[in-house]
Amino acid sequence: MIYHRPKTIEEALSLIGRSAWPVSPLAGGTDLLPRWSAGVQDRPASIVDLKHIEDLKGVSRANGDIRIGACTSMSEIEADPLIRAAAPILAEAVGRVACPQIRNRASIGGNLCNASPAADSAIPLLLLDAEVEVATHTDSGATIRTVPIEEFFKGPGATVVAPGEIVTHLRFKPVPQGAFSAWDKFGTRPAMEIAVASVGVAVELGGGVISRARVGYGSVAPVPLRGKAAEAELLGMALSPEVINRCENAAREEIKPITDVRASQAYRRDVVAAMLRRILQRAASS
Amino acid sequence: MPQVLDRIQIGMVVNGESVTIMAPSTATLLDVLRNGLELTGTKYGCGEGECGACSVLLDGRVVNSCLVLAVECEGSKVLTIEGLESNGQLHPIQKAFVDYGAVQCGFCTPGMIMAAYALLESNPAPTEDEVKRGLEGNLCRCTGYQKIIEAILSLAVRGADDV
Amino acid sequence: MFEAASVATPKRRTKKDTLIGRRIPKLDAPEKATGLARYIEDLNFPRMLYGKILFADRPHARIVSIDTSAARAMRGVRAVITAADINLVPFGYGQDNTALKADKVTCIRDEVAAVAADTPEIAAEAVKRIRVTYEDLPVVASPEEAVADGAPIIHEKIADNTPFRYDYSHGDIEAGVGDSHIIVEDTYTLQRQAHCCLGTSGIIASFDADGRLTLHSLTQVPFLYKNDLARIVGVAPEKIRIIQPPIGGGFGSKLDIHPFEPICIFLAMKTSRPVKLVFTREEEFLATPTRQNAVIYMRSGARKDGTFTFRDVRMTLDNGGRTSWGATTPWIMMRSFSSLYRVPHVRQHADIIYTNNIYACAFRGYGNPQATFALESQIDQLADELGMDPLDVRLINAQKPGETTGQGMVLRTCGLKECLETSAANAGWETKRREAEASRNQQTETPNRAATVRERTKEQAGIACSHCRSMVRGVGMASFFHVGGGAKIYRSDGCGTILKLDDFGAVTVLTGSSEIGQGSETVLAQIVAEGLGLPMKNIRVINNDTELTPWDVGVHASRTTFIAGNSVLRAAREARRKLLAAAAARLKREPDQLDLSEGKVVDGATGEALESIGKIIRGLHFGSKNELIMTTDFYEPPSTAPDEDQMGDISACYAFGTHVAEVEVDLDTGVVKVIKVCATHDVGRVINRLGLEGQIEGGIVQGLGYCLSEEVKVSEGRVLNPSFTDYKLMTTWDVPEMELSFVETNDPAGPYGAKGVGESPLIPVAAAVANAVYNAAGVRIRELPLTPEKVLAHLKAASRPAE
Repeated sequence: MIYHRPKTIEEALSLIGRSAWPVSPLAGGTDLLPRWSAGVQDRPASIVDLKHIEDLKGVSRANGDIRIGACTSMSEIEADPLIRAAAPILAEAVGRVACPQIRNRASIGGNLCNASPAADSAIPLLLLDAEVEVATHTDSGATIRTVPIEEFFKGPGATVVAPGEIVTHLRFKPVPQGAFSAWDKFGTRPAMEIAVASVGVAVELGGGVISRARVGYGSVAPVPLRGKAAEAELLGMALSPEVINRCENAAREEIKPITDVRASQAYRRDVVAAMLRRILQRAASS
Repeated sequence: MPQVLDRIQIGMVVNGESVTIMAPSTATLLDVLRNGLELTGTKYGCGEGECGACSVLLDGRVVNSCLVLAVECEGSKVLTIEGLESNGQLHPIQKAFVDYGAVQCGFCTPGMIMAAYALLESNPAPTEDEVKRGLEGNLCRCTGYQKIIEAILSLAVRGADDV
Repeated sequence: MFEAASVATPKRRTKKDTLIGRRIPKLDAPEKATGLARYIEDLNFPRMLYGKILFADRPHARIVSIDTSAARAMRGVRAVITAADINLVPFGYGQDNTALKADKVTCIRDEVAAVAADTPEIAAEAVKRIRVTYEDLPVVASPEEAVADGAPIIHEKIADNTPFRYDYSHGDIEAGVGDSHIIVEDTYTLQRQAHCCLGTSGIIASFDADGRLTLHSLTQVPFLYKNDLARIVGVAPEKIRIIQPPIGGGFGSKLDIHPFEPICIFLAMKTSRPVKLVFTREEEFLATPTRQNAVIYMRSGARKDGTFTFRDVRMTLDNGGRTSWGATTPWIMMRSFSSLYRVPHVRQHADIIYTNNIYACAFRGYGNPQATFALESQIDQLADELGMDPLDVRLINAQKPGETTGQGMVLRTCGLKECLETSAANAGWETKRREAEASRNQQTETPNRAATVRERTKEQAGIACSHCRSMVRGVGMASFFHVGGGAKIYRSDGCGTILKLDDFGAVTVLTGSSEIGQGSETVLAQIVAEGLGLPMKNIRVINNDTELTPWDVGVHASRTTFIAGNSVLRAAREARRKLLAAAAARLKREPDQLDLSEGKVVDGATGEALESIGKIIRGLHFGSKNELIMTTDFYEPPSTAPDEDQMGDISACYAFGTHVAEVEVDLDTGVVKVIKVCATHDVGRVINRLGLEGQIEGGIVQGLGYCLSEEVKVSEGRVLNPSFTDYKLMTTWDVPEMELSFVETNDPAGPYGAKGVGESPLIPVAAAVANAVYNAAGVRIRELPLTPEKVLAHLKAASRPAE
């Protein structure tokens, strides 16, 4: 493998865009390296290490949005004061990725680009209506297109990012004061766990009823899934036990889990329902 | 695909010493530490970041060295278990592991100690839950973790309120 | 200065300053904590090659042909071997295994070919280039399929696929049934558990110019291993030397000869170069044996007052495609069935059945965790039927010291009653059990569960769910019975010691017993230091080289502290006698007026220091008699091998203990969280408190893994989860509060009264937790592991209205 270490996005794009051989951008590598060594994925002829591009790192404010560089590590995001204030569930979710060793390496951009239905950062970003900035090499340098997170995932391991493109940033609006958001993940043990299922909820109240609702599910569909049916049950309603029940039923209906070595389809439905109910009960009492 | 002489020169600072080595581009940091530098205190346990036996500090942060390519470490600082002892004196974490019975077969021990080192560097007074979180990526099959947790808690700097 | 002045006057050694019972750090801990300890993967030799094995990767097939030409043609490949290239000597407990397989493979891990190459990468690539043509045969995926009519025969010699059967009985079952007021029967299903030693398996083989073979090997049984290997590889046993580097975990996994070991020797033979073969983690999961899965049917009865009347057990163990020592676990299982609590009538029948699954070997507890899960679950079911407190039922039936069990085992000491009472008291048994029952009854009376289950505080509910009302708690208990003084499986259960005192008062202890992380070397040093009045730092233990150390049966059956401990103690006492005699002659006293303390000969009455031990030895060495102090001992425990009916006093003493687990069950997700385990063990006597606690804590957490999450999942002979990603070990977050207590029964046969404890703490964990889940949530789960999904399925089934 040939190793490249570009310093700018443009340089990275030109290395990736021009290559005649298989080339792979490399961020934290915590998913790629095991895939290479297990032979699940072929090693590319060259790798472009994105970790030394200053513009891809860190959290900033941009026109009222929060903007995260794609190579920012899970640990950095978890500890970032801006994230903790503006999007606490994102801090919580990335803080529950695997373990410190992985969180110190794994990047949020890599987590999204690997497009696992279990990606821990994806659900909070869905709730935040985040947008993904994707850069392409052009003769004039880099061109950026913006993709809503909901349209970003195409299937297990597949995204809208085309060969030659890289994800550079994520952006979203801070959660307003007084809004409720929560996220939880279920595994068979507390740590080092690929989610059997995860659930996130964000609601804003106006005039005693829910004025904005977002529900998201992980590990229960080919992609991290927005819970539109559940959201519809919430919108314009107060959080009564009946509404919570209806929402739970909607969730059971709209998720499309599979049975695998980690859990059965039926169990994933039960766990999603239980997590959703608990989160909504918390919302009701908060 | 191009056929290239697949060895790359890598310079890094390991345990305070500058080293330059030639390694295959596919080599991990773990490979280079163990085979290139004969720092065999860092262990291979799974090769996929699931056990923590290969934990080292890379530029001050604990990582699984099996999940880092050696070429990524060009210009970096690496601290391994061999870098903790100084002048024949055990590092306080090593001493606590010995005294508290945190070592049995010992295979997970170097990785555990490096994870503990990183934890205590960033949080000198961890609570029990913080210790558990700091070591959640390190598997041990012998001790049941209890004595490891006790060893690290014994080093936690306590404020006056806690005394 | 006067000589006497440098001899500080030690106080007479009182009970308080004995080394026995103290917390002594493990002797090799500094070496391991600094990363200096060299494990098998860390050792390299000049011109060493790397071995790699080609596994069948199909469960049942005939080998039609093997084409190794492409592998042989690779640069850097030094040897490629198949069954055609080696001595095909059968080995293993069933003599149904060979290093490489010639005609047929019977499980995915069967070894078909092997390569030695200059680098691990070349070896791995070469193995991929070996082309094997197979003719697939029908897969026998379970014991039921194996004994069905017309099932394919897996090994030609065994037409019914049942290579071993074990029968045991005492008393008369029919009489027991007639004597019973209540009878309970049920079936319990146990899964495969992987050892998951953090260090993967490996070996280095090298031959010297005289054809002597040196093995750096991780075996737990070096002397038996040497003898068996000699036959397999065709090297005289006296020409084999076994050196054991530090071992990254054993737990029984290194009790058998595994095919990779002779394969590596054959590669070294073929290339005349040292060859190292170390498994990857995936190979470790696929190609090392597991704890055996078992289906245990049990029926037992009791009288109204709670007295047990009979126990009738039939079980089926999945042997997999080859036979290891794992096939003999019913020997140990029957001992718990026959002798944990007093039962007048017991019968056991076990079938060991070939399948095309991966096979099992010894694993901490040796069948006893499976047996105890069934047994202790059923005792709770009996208690439930009787309407009695499970603690009372157990106390009524607990053996007392001096009894002989139905299987002829003599309980010279027995602390079971104290263990039951202590664990129950520590756990707050009465109160917690009643609370759980009351809350459960309340639940079943009202349809709306969520409204009636007590709301718990945030702290109680734990971090995962702070507002839920669906958490219930309960307590459960289980005891165990295990050998504590070795097990006479062979004609000798002995261990040898050579004790060598140098002329400065330092001692080298050469023991046949091995250190596999359990801390035996520290305990042995402690016993010698105590016996000779020397500080710990003066003792060095050599325990890893068959060229130096005297014979021993091996590390198994929780025997090392007891057997090797007795042997070093006797050698130390003999050395002490010689030292005191020499001191008495030199100091013109009687030996019985003298004592040894902190490296000094002291006045037995006043404790006054009289002379350093080193000086006494030098006096002996350079004096007129020119003597050295070296003693030897071979200790054979006073146990007897079982007779044909499996009757007999197999161990020199027996260990007992009781665990009480407190759990919290999440009724919505089925998650079982173990809050606390109160473990009380009859250890005879505490030798090294630190090491003992470590063994118990580690055993509890390993037992929790067995109970809650660990399972090697196999389907159609294939392993579905060969990685730490999907084989779930306990992590730091899973550690419960553990309250340990020790009952010291001071066994007259034990070294300073101690019994073995290595395996014990794992044995009762699963049963205690399952009983606690019943107490908390009212569901009796008879199948391990208690995964959230399984628990929830039981909860749902229980809440469905009865028809």
